Amino acid sequence: MSSNPTSSSGAGSTDPSAARRNSKRPKYSRFTQQELPACKPILTPRWVISAFMVVSIVFIPIGVASLFASRDVVEIVDRYDDDCIPGSKSAKISYITGPSDKTCIRTLNVSKHMKAPIYIYYQLDNFYQNHRRYVKSRSDQQLRHNRSANEVSACKPEDTANGKPIVPCGLIAWSLFNDTYSFSISNRNLTVNKNGIAWKSDRDHKFGKDVFPSNFQKGGLIGGASLNESIPLSDQEDLIVWMRTAALPTFRKLYGKIHQDLQAGDVINVTLKNNYNTYSFNGKKMLVLSTTSWLGGKNDFLGIAYLTVGGLCFFLAMLFTLIYLVKPRRLGDPSYLSWNRNPGGR
Amino acid sequence: MSSDVNIAQFRFLQRLLLLHGHWCYRRISMMICYFFYKNITFGLTLFWFETHSSFSAQPAYNDWYLSTYNVFFTSLPVIALGVFDQDVSARLCLKNPNLYAEGIENILYSWPRILGWMFNGLCSSMIIFFLTTSSLKHHAFRSDGRVVDFSVLAATMYSCVVWTVNCQMALSINYFTWIQHFVIWGSIALWYIFLLIYGTLPPTFSKSAYLVLVEVCAPSPLYWIIIIFVVFSTLLPYFAFRAIQLRFWPMPHDVVQLDRNRGLKVKQIRDANPLPYIRDLALVLFLIQAL
Repeated sequence: MSSNPTSSSGAGSTDPSAARRNSKRPKYSRFTQQELPACKPILTPRWVISAFMVVSIVFIPIGVASLFASRDVVEIVDRYDDDCIPGSKSAKISYITGPSDKTCIRTLNVSKHMKAPIYIYYQLDNFYQNHRRYVKSRSDQQLRHNRSANEVSACKPEDTANGKPIVPCGLIAWSLFNDTYSFSISNRNLTVNKNGIAWKSDRDHKFGKDVFPSNFQKGGLIGGASLNESIPLSDQEDLIVWMRTAALPTFRKLYGKIHQDLQAGDVINVTLKNNYNTYSFNGKKMLVLSTTSWLGGKNDFLGIAYLTVGGLCFFLAMLFTLIYLVKPRRLGDPSYLSWNRNPGGR
Repeated sequence: MSSDVNIAQFRFLQRLLLLHGHWCYRRISMMICYFFYKNITFGLTLFWFETHSSFSAQPAYNDWYLSTYNVFFTSLPVIALGVFDQDVSARLCLKNPNLYAEGIENILYSWPRILGWMFNGLCSSMIIFFLTTSSLKHHAFRSDGRVVDFSVLAATMYSCVVWTVNCQMALSINYFTWIQHFVIWGSIALWYIFLLIYGTLPPTFSKSAYLVLVEVCAPSPLYWIIIIFVVFSTLLPYFAFRAIQLRFWPMPHDVVQLDRNRGLKVKQIRDANPLPYIRDLALVLFLIQAL
């Protein structure tokens, strides 16, 4: 602000370069003097109301589109663990851990036309695949390379059995889901495509082509499925899908795909093997058949949430318009300044 | 804030006190409040995740995400805030010496304000966590039927946090030079660049982040729609609060800004009743001069 002459002008020299050399004034730049070109947006009434209106105008159509996408998805969910084994909890546990044949026949009714591909999932509830010790219990090195078969330190307690390392080690592999499903409509079998259910990066880069299961499920306690020892891990897609740990305690995993349409009114007979023990920890098992939309599965939440927030923003825009119209703030009114509110002092 | 400053001439004291003193107070107090906010927002999402992982102390994010949060993705905007921010321009600061009273009255660093920012962090983390997990439930999240796993939830929630805290910075400041634009949007871009590069490292090193952006998240429209939704919803309460505060209870620098915005002459403001502590300020200046 002050534009006084330089402080050492008493020398009397009229040579401008000499005057400049004597001056201690720092070299001017917009950056060092904090005078960079800037935009200074303020939340004036116009900006506030326009912002709310823009958000509501953008959100409401997105909400409608999401809701329609979710409504387009046809989903059949069938909880079978309760009905397949009648009786009390202890009866169920003794049945599931026993040697009996665990075949169960279920019937699914298709309510709406389902376009191929139809995805088959198994859904588990109350299963904490995101527990810290469970997530830790795997050996990525061992899964990838044949030479690392002995790197099992992180896999306790499922690291070795009978003195030999388990491949694949760890609790995640040990608890592999082992219910199987087969489908038929009017005595015609529906082919289930079980190829390509795992992520490509998992198949190509996380699980080795030269790693074969060995010594698996040979310990005292069997936790799930056993693996075919002649198939390399990169082709064991059920294992790969299972080992990609879920985020939340209720999760689905892809079992297979059906590549034909299902008509409304079709009755699907499911022959399933109810092998997996979720009864000990009050878990639930469900079989899910679902189509997908451009957005994914049948989740109404996002559509409804978008509509809610869009509507709320619209309401806020109207409210602020009312506030600014009914009680406008007088400009330049010094009474708004805090030091004028109590003029006598603090 | 106390610091030792040398001035060569007595007339520089005016700029030092009224301009730099005011700016420094605003910068420091704003920076500290914002720092608490961004770390509470991030840390509490980890805590809310524990309620869904049976309190086993499983972090919701990959280890490297946790380490780089405060280093790469949210540090530069705060530094820019602490070094460059100007709530009122230099000219207006000198024309309104009463703005210095903001520091004396401790308007910008009072307990209600600090706790208010922390509460903002708490609410933001709750909104982010709840909205992300409700949108990414057990259903498929892409048209090819793939379901959500741990890496997807981590990447999505972390992206929402980074976007939200940086956009909150953009909402809180009123002074945008190329520096502010560069650090705010640059931090967000840096997160995606980091995710890209980290995702290409071997899976034994990058674990759950392997190819998560390229293969899993970016092709999914749901990922982007969730980010837009979560960011706007999380910032909505603060935005509404700020609009109401500016209308009914503006702070002194807000009043100066609003009136400057309307091109009003500042003469009317200066004609207001003088403060008793301006009398004290004059006394101090006189004493310094006498020494």
